[in-house]
Amino acid sequence: MTNMNIKLKKRLLFILGFFTFFTICLISRIAWIQFVNGQEYQQKAFEQQTSNRTISPKRGTIYDRNMEPLAVSGSVETISCSPQVIKKLSLDVDKISSDLSAILSMDKETIRKKLVKSSRYELIKKKVDKDIGSKVRQWKKDNEIDGIYIDEDTKRFYPNSNLAAHVVGFTNVDNDGLDGVEKIMDKYLKGVPGKILSEVDASGVELSMGQEQYIQPQDGNDVILTIDETIQYFAEKTLEKAISDNNVINGATAIVMDPRNGEILALTSKPDFDLNNPRAAPSGVDKTAWTGTSTEDVQYLQKTVWRNKAVVDTYEPGSTFKPVTASAGLEEGLVTPETQVTDATIKVGGWNIHCWKPNAHLHETFREGVYNSCNPVFVRLAQQLGISKFYSYIKAFGFYQKTGIDLPGEAISIIHTKPTEIDMCTASFGQRFQITPIQLIQAYGAIANGGELITPHVVKEVIDSSGNVIKKYEPNVVRRVISKQTSGTVVDILRGVVDVGTGKNARVPGYKIGGKTGTSETVASKDIVVQGKNKRYIVSFSAIAPTDNPSLCVLVVLDWPDVYSPGGGMLVAPVVGKLIDDILTYQGVEKEYTDEDKKLLQKEVQVPDVKGKTVEEAIKILKQNKLEYKIEGSNKDMKAVVQAQTPKSSALLNENSLVILYTYKPESEAKATVPDVKNKSVYEATQAFKAVGLNIRINGTGTAVSQDKEAGKVITKGTVVEVMFRNIVSD
Amino acid sequence: MKNKNKKPFDFWIFAAVILLLSLGTIMVFSSSYYFSVKTVGNSFFLLIPQLEYMALSILVLILTMNFDYRRWGKLSPLILMICIGLLILVLIPGIGQKQNGAQRWLGVGSKTVQPSEMAKIALIMFLSFSLSKRKDVLKSFTRGLVPYLLLIGFVAGLVVIEPHLSGTLIIVITSCIILFCAGARISHFVAMAVPAVAAVVVAILAAPYRFDRVKAWLHPFDYAMDEGWQTVQSLLAIGSGGLFGRGLGQSMQKYLYIPEPYNDYIFAILSEELGFIGAMFVMLLFLVFIWRGIKVAMNAPDTFGSLLATGITSLIGIQFLFNVAVVTNSIPSTGISLPFFSYGGTSLMLLMFGVGVLLNISRYSNYERL
Repeated sequence: MTNMNIKLKKRLLFILGFFTFFTICLISRIAWIQFVNGQEYQQKAFEQQTSNRTISPKRGTIYDRNMEPLAVSGSVETISCSPQVIKKLSLDVDKISSDLSAILSMDKETIRKKLVKSSRYELIKKKVDKDIGSKVRQWKKDNEIDGIYIDEDTKRFYPNSNLAAHVVGFTNVDNDGLDGVEKIMDKYLKGVPGKILSEVDASGVELSMGQEQYIQPQDGNDVILTIDETIQYFAEKTLEKAISDNNVINGATAIVMDPRNGEILALTSKPDFDLNNPRAAPSGVDKTAWTGTSTEDVQYLQKTVWRNKAVVDTYEPGSTFKPVTASAGLEEGLVTPETQVTDATIKVGGWNIHCWKPNAHLHETFREGVYNSCNPVFVRLAQQLGISKFYSYIKAFGFYQKTGIDLPGEAISIIHTKPTEIDMCTASFGQRFQITPIQLIQAYGAIANGGELITPHVVKEVIDSSGNVIKKYEPNVVRRVISKQTSGTVVDILRGVVDVGTGKNARVPGYKIGGKTGTSETVASKDIVVQGKNKRYIVSFSAIAPTDNPSLCVLVVLDWPDVYSPGGGMLVAPVVGKLIDDILTYQGVEKEYTDEDKKLLQKEVQVPDVKGKTVEEAIKILKQNKLEYKIEGSNKDMKAVVQAQTPKSSALLNENSLVILYTYKPESEAKATVPDVKNKSVYEATQAFKAVGLNIRINGTGTAVSQDKEAGKVITKGTVVEVMFRNIVSD
Repeated sequence: MKNKNKKPFDFWIFAAVILLLSLGTIMVFSSSYYFSVKTVGNSFFLLIPQLEYMALSILVLILTMNFDYRRWGKLSPLILMICIGLLILVLIPGIGQKQNGAQRWLGVGSKTVQPSEMAKIALIMFLSFSLSKRKDVLKSFTRGLVPYLLLIGFVAGLVVIEPHLSGTLIIVITSCIILFCAGARISHFVAMAVPAVAAVVVAILAAPYRFDRVKAWLHPFDYAMDEGWQTVQSLLAIGSGGLFGRGLGQSMQKYLYIPEPYNDYIFAILSEELGFIGAMFVMLLFLVFIWRGIKVAMNAPDTFGSLLATGITSLIGIQFLFNVAVVTNSIPSTGISLPFFSYGGTSLMLLMFGVGVLLNISRYSNYERL
């Protein structure tokens, strides 16, 4: 008995030990779960216990330099649902989907499929208008429905549609910037999303006594661009006209930059697109198969309307590059503007390089060589510089690197890495290498601003919603390229190019403009041969204005104008002249007329109303207005009453134009045949029109190239015919 | 060992059980009210019956603690035979109720009993009685140990085919503890361990659902959406508790993340709401109960009392360890309730019955022998 009991007690103690040991083990296990795994498990538990709906922040506004909005965000709403909750509450999925399809104008079946998924959150429709959101809210209340959510969201709106499309850029439905400044400045514009966190049970139903946490979204910052909406508008309108006038096939670009600080005032690339609908089918594309989101469609968009030719395309600059060669020669002291040079044909590596007017300018100054755009003059200058010097200037002018402009997709130039003599000689007049338009305007900026290469940029400032400046983009001077003196000399020579040289067509009376024309037959042209089209040339004009204190650099490039005789001087110079006129007038720069300008100036007058007056009185009034007259009718009596006049009153005419006075009541107006004035001078053309009793409106200077009413057509006497005159030049 | 030696019952056991039961009832309410609201719209849906069971079970306790335990010895063969009869009855299709693929319940509607719960107590009583009568019989393997093992195996076999693996394990382990304390040879146990382990392995491999549970035990988060769901949710609940817990009633995991939070996984909700401190407090209460139970066994006036006290204490202790082990994913998941905590009437009443018997034994303690 005693032995038995001792043995029993020993075994009982062992059992007690067994239980104690395992209890301690399990306490340790709990401690492990709570203190070692605790954080991870708490996080996981939190994630499953809270439903998390995002509230989009308001994306910042993009303004132009004068605080005109270019991209704004409007409040919209996003409709989503919780299929789990709908299932849990056994709601009528058919009714919900048909009701929602009516309110949201969506396919019922699409909605139904989302409602029956086995997830906790499904998006039904993004970015619906506020009033539709309110309708859903009211419907939800009326039908006591849960599991459908209406949350704040924002939608991008571009008030100017196509304006500056490639600079401003656009976003996707999630408000991520995809292109342009929207992409580059995305982190500033975006803001921080807010959240609605609510406690839910395992089936996703919100707990009635649960806590709801609302984390306010932080709105994005605003971005102010260097772009001037008005100048941008001028640039786009001018470019569009140039494209239609010259049947430009492959698009065009225009850039306006302030050379003093690298600020881009306007940058446009054509064809372009409506920022509010960036994925629309570009014109000429079959719309039936178009989605705008398929890989092929996006690639097509990127190749065409989305393509920012100003920074993505490379091209041969042609003669617009000559000022760079000139700058190098002047800076190195190898020439002065008055140095005697010759354009005699020169043989380089088996190639004859001659002037566009071979051996026409055998004795000229260097200045005249630039005016006349003589290739041999630049080849000789490059040879004097030598390969390493010449290319060190090209490098200094930034042609070997991207400019670093704050726009996406900038291309790198295609330029000789180990240049030979022939490479250098062709490069001296801008051929056999490719650069981007933005690189060229950056180089012109350095020539214009006293010699400093400055990074071109489109973003000026970032401000927060209360207007505090968060980030300011100061001009970034990369390096000094040439001296102030050289800069002044080159600008002066370029002014001569416009005044008396190949850039004549860019002349604007009253403004001092310098510039250089350019034409190049691209390498790529060999691949693209279109039946019935002229050869592919890229024509351009690069300008600096006003030359006494440059505040503008302008570059316009037309890719493949389908005309018989393309040339930057003929096609682009007048476009740039007109654009500079518009911009400087808008900026309030006073016109100062030289004597030369005054001769060119065509004063316009308004036609006075002389109907009902006697012929004598009418002639007196017309003379006061510097207009000439012609009487139609047998009654030559000075007392006769003027029955009718052509043109009618308040029409605009050049001074010394004709007004036809009718002394009888004409049943039909007197007619005249339009004369052919092609290749006539302004004077000859004016006389020809006067002779038949028609009026002329003179556009440009030089010789007549076209007229807006065909020769041989019979029209009413006194009608105004617009005749375009151009200085026949080559680049 | 005269009636005049009757002493007051063991205060520690009584206090620990009442504390555990009170805390358990609070936790049943806390963990069940969202479930009740969601299913029937009344947050007291499960609390009211639990309070009734609590009252009833305290009545059972008072009755049995005043009922001389020695009388159970003579009744035990009869009780065991009735229980075996019920275990057979429950297996007959159409009589036993089936839930989740297991045929374990007898009764009508929601008023059901589990014969396996009753069989546990009956077997403990019979083994204690029989072994106390036939001293030293266990020294023999064939005449002593084998007949008992056959009996245990028979009862356990009836339970395992319900199937009710956890119930089987509890019966086997508790019976083995009694045999061990009754003087069975260690060498015999060692010899038995080999086939026992083999049997468990076979049982796991035989049923695919058990094999899946083992996989889910080893990598619960890989099976978080199916077999591992309860385990993962239990771990997340415990992990969310920290040192002091989220506060009473503040559990988030009871919002149906843990499917029946008032049942087998109630300890996870307790750990979430009351933290490490609360969980440790409850576990120490169980340990106090076990310590005092073993002490009662040591001081019992006879071998029957000693073995009976050991069996009852072990039964509760083993269920407690198994439950916490499952909830903390220390062993593969199996359905096992936490004594005094998990919702349920019969099991609570049977537990309190056992506690009553234990307290009665404590009244005859012979301290002079220490």
